[in-house]
Amino acid sequence: MKPLKLLAIVIIPLGIILAAVPADKTKHFRLSAAELLQEAGTGAQFISPDVIADMLVQKDPSLQLIDVRTPEEFEAFSLPGAINIPLSNLLADENTDILNQDARMNVFYSNGSVTANEAWMLTRQLGYKNNFVMEGGLNYWFGNILSAQAPSQTNPNEEFAKYDFRKSAAAALGGGSVVATEGSSAAPKAAKPPVASKAKKKAAGGC
Amino acid sequence: MGPLAPNGIISENTNFLLAFFIGIAFGWVLESSGFSSSRKLAGQFYGYDTVVLKVFFTGAITCMIGLLLMSLFGWIDLDLVYVNPTYLTSAIVGGVVMGAGFIMGGFCPGTSFTGAAIGKIDAMVFVGGLFIGIYGFAFTYPWWEKMYMAKYLGEPKISQSLGMSDGLFGLLLILVALGMFVVAEWAERKFPREEY
Repeated sequence: MKPLKLLAIVIIPLGIILAAVPADKTKHFRLSAAELLQEAGTGAQFISPDVIADMLVQKDPSLQLIDVRTPEEFEAFSLPGAINIPLSNLLADENTDILNQDARMNVFYSNGSVTANEAWMLTRQLGYKNNFVMEGGLNYWFGNILSAQAPSQTNPNEEFAKYDFRKSAAAALGGGSVVATEGSSAAPKAAKPPVASKAKKKAAGGC
Repeated sequence: MGPLAPNGIISENTNFLLAFFIGIAFGWVLESSGFSSSRKLAGQFYGYDTVVLKVFFTGAITCMIGLLLMSLFGWIDLDLVYVNPTYLTSAIVGGVVMGAGFIMGGFCPGTSFTGAAIGKIDAMVFVGGLFIGIYGFAFTYPWWEKMYMAKYLGEPKISQSLGMSDGLFGLLLILVALGMFVVAEWAERKFPREEY
């Protein structure tokens, strides 16, 4: 048989198979359940509210707060600079560029830690990096950062340092209930981060 | 070598080692299929020998089928595969320069090295010209930079701009390639050359 015919007999059916298979549009999990469990177990995804308060006061541009509560709750109160991606809308295409990037540090927050942690688990299982969870959520934020309680005299010095920091952070970020009214209008929507996610994985090379 | 190197499965040095062995194998296959003969390569332009077209298109088709099938089976993530970014102006200018050099010198960069390796003097001269070109371009880069960077299109895929799936475009490309092979073999019969 002529080589050309042989080639045609092999590659035309393969081409038909390729053309007939519908494009794969599903988002694949990159981490197995066991890998995710192990990672979740270390608790490395949690960022303490003190660290976030510090970054907010310093106006750290790498911080991107993401409110995973409903739009109504977001309207009522949000942290400065936060954007709203409700958990139900987390995997929408327009959010991929925000969640899957390596330029910023995304921090999910909700009222407690549970919803934010769900958002983290989903994005982490998709292989996205740089996503974190604000430990304790807004409840902890209100109870301990914005209305910090003075430690009793018997506490170690670190407790007092923490208290002093929280008090000044609360002053800088607007203390107590005042922020609830200010925050709703004062939180500017952050611009989308530069999309660098694809470039980082690529090998340099060519012919 | 994606996806092994970008995912950190092999180190950069191992990557170079693999490239070294693959390069040797590539050169050996090129030489043993007669690609170190500039007459064979120039034959592409005169029609008496179209093996260059057949080999490189078969290589491209094989690679395309392999990648698409492997991505179908979930063995490879095509997002991790390096795609040359498209700079339209430099692609066209570079294509013309490369084609002119190809037909004048009778070699392309890879085959000139296989020719030089078996001691062909014209191939060595060609390699010399290659280096002059590389250094000439590098040292005068500011003159070319504007043209070099012009019309940046990102990493477009023809299938995307045609609005069809990768697989369907693959099938069309296979059919086009087979059609080209038929034309090429017809040309070989039409413009035969006895000894070259």
